Amino acid sequence: MSTKERFDGVTAEQVMLLALIGLSAVFLIEPIVQDYPADARVFPQMMAGVVFVGCVLLLIQDYLPGPLRTFVAEDMSVTTADDSILDDQEETVEEEETTTEERPPRLGEEYGYGVNDTVFMVVMSVLYLAAGWAAGFLFVTLPFVWAYTTWFRIRWYVGLGLAVFATAIVWFFMEFLILPFDQGEIFDFSPFLPFVLEALWFVSPELAGSVAAVRARVI
Amino acid sequence: MAVDAFFDGLSIAIGPEALLWLTVGLLLGIVLGALPGIGSPVGMAIVLPLTLPLESTMALILLIAIYSGAMFGGSIAAILINAPGTESAAATTLDGYPMSKNGLAKNALAIATTASALNGFLAAIILLLISPVLIQVVLAFGSPEYFLLAILGISLITIVTQGSIVKGLVAGALGFMISTIGTGILSPRPRYTFGQFGLYDGIDFVAALIGMFAFAEMMKLAAKSQIAEADVSLGGSIKEGVRTVFKYPKTTVKSGLIGMGIGMIPGSGATTSTFVAYAEEARSSAKDGRFGEGDPRGVIAPEAANNPTVSGSLIPTLSFGIPGSGSTAVLLGGILMHGLQPGPVLFDEQLQITYALFISLFLGNVLILAVGLTVIPYASRLTELDTNVIIPAVVVLSFAGAYTLNQNWFDVMAVVVLGVLGFYMVQYNYSVIAFVLGIVLGPIAEENFFRSLQISGGDYAIFVDPLNRPLSFLLSVLILLILVGPFLKPYLERKIDRV
Repeated sequence: MSTKERFDGVTAEQVMLLALIGLSAVFLIEPIVQDYPADARVFPQMMAGVVFVGCVLLLIQDYLPGPLRTFVAEDMSVTTADDSILDDQEETVEEEETTTEERPPRLGEEYGYGVNDTVFMVVMSVLYLAAGWAAGFLFVTLPFVWAYTTWFRIRWYVGLGLAVFATAIVWFFMEFLILPFDQGEIFDFSPFLPFVLEALWFVSPELAGSVAAVRARVI
Repeated sequence: MAVDAFFDGLSIAIGPEALLWLTVGLLLGIVLGALPGIGSPVGMAIVLPLTLPLESTMALILLIAIYSGAMFGGSIAAILINAPGTESAAATTLDGYPMSKNGLAKNALAIATTASALNGFLAAIILLLISPVLIQVVLAFGSPEYFLLAILGISLITIVTQGSIVKGLVAGALGFMISTIGTGILSPRPRYTFGQFGLYDGIDFVAALIGMFAFAEMMKLAAKSQIAEADVSLGGSIKEGVRTVFKYPKTTVKSGLIGMGIGMIPGSGATTSTFVAYAEEARSSAKDGRFGEGDPRGVIAPEAANNPTVSGSLIPTLSFGIPGSGSTAVLLGGILMHGLQPGPVLFDEQLQITYALFISLFLGNVLILAVGLTVIPYASRLTELDTNVIIPAVVVLSFAGAYTLNQNWFDVMAVVVLGVLGFYMVQYNYSVIAFVLGIVLGPIAEENFFRSLQISGGDYAIFVDPLNRPLSFLLSVLILLILVGPFLKPYLERKIDRV
């Protein structure tokens, strides 16, 4: 069996369980290594023990003896009793849902890059977080939303409007809750902010006026 | 004292500020509920950090109003495009969408509004009436009972939600485990921080809520790539819809009571109550019913059940800190974030806050009726929004909100990490509510666990002592029965059959 074939059988649940086993092992071992006092150690270790044993049981459920396997694997829900009445109707609903679903092509597909939508969403979010940390959310929100909506081929003016709206939300967070969203941990573009507002004056004096008024009131 | 507290609560609830937040919350809730994939827990989780500058009662009124509004809003998308805005509206699609296809969309929406508001209204009155009894029950609880109650809550969730019991326990214990990151509760010593200063305060449970609900939900929405663009025609009559609800008073009241009863059970939530109410109505009206083809009783039953579930789930949330659903888990997060403690204090020294919340719920349902019936002609516009427009907006709000909590980048990272974890947990039937409950209740459970051991001098028998602590013993037996019961049931049934 090749390595690829071996990994093909691995499910996301198994990866998740392995990660949780690793995490719970850390929670079990760390208090011993760092010599935590009893009142700081017992509770997390107890809970880590439950997670560790539970995850191991779930991971090896196919190899467990009958009754134990039932306990580990079988779905137990007190709400499933009424399913008989609803089953048929739910099936019809699902059928209808799938028939109405349409998926327009993504921007990348034009260039031969077919990326799973969920993966794209997570990767973009992580990039947005990293860029926000490095340069401040105020400056990276607009390109993030613009890029996201462009990828999904949302009409350009809707995407741009949403990007401006999202940036305005971040700006409100910054002004009203006094958050340093204009400063990143690596880059500090905050000294340029007055120039940006001045530039805004040329684009729309009314908008720049209201922004200045709000800023004056807050500060 | 209760009467004084009631009038104090009333003066808070009918004050201009409370009414403003109630209206804002309801409108926001209706909009968020009507957007497929958002719903009440996501909406509440996003709004939660924004309530930081608000006074605690106002913040809670806003959150409860969003919850109530989303319960109604969820039915808009369910009826018009067959995509429930909230999980609790899933049962409404069964007859609501066929009604819409039969040209009776306005009737269905008016039925949903009236049934939802009417029963929410009745449930709020019941809640006000039974609160004096609740006070007595809550005051009987001590440290061991509170610890056991947290365990009981998670145990109940594991058997109420789908999936194996072991999965539920793993989820709950994982939540408890994550909650211990940061400075210890009893001895102020950093735990599991690995030298990272940002982890000294632990992972904020509000950030965890945002991750598990908002971010995970957005991942789910992206996976579905469901675009809610459909030909929506709003036919029918609002007046006729309102009249229909009064034509079936038995269905309305019965479903409302089912909703409130199930709402009181931790973990069950509105999804369970609406399906149970629908199934009960389908069973009792089997002779003349046309369920699944647009029978109005198929809309009345789930909608009459969903809003009373909000009232019902407030009982375990406020009295014991055990949320009944994802939304009440977020609400509990809000209660704790604003420095309030669920339990005896909310029913004793701060009873006026509790009454203010109940009265707001009552007023909120009056508003739902007024606002709901007014927005029906414009409802279809909400469902035409593209989900790929919603996702980046929610991501921006989630990250900014998480950072707002403590100005800590670890909280923002927690949103992504726990969001991804939540996404897979949902996919493989692990109870997200048990996990969230673990995170939210972790510090309370740990503190009460150690306080119990301090009382008993380290003797674990304090949790199972029938003579000195009968309530603890009863709770321990209940936990055992809940966990082992489902497996013993078939064995006992076989034995009884043989006899």
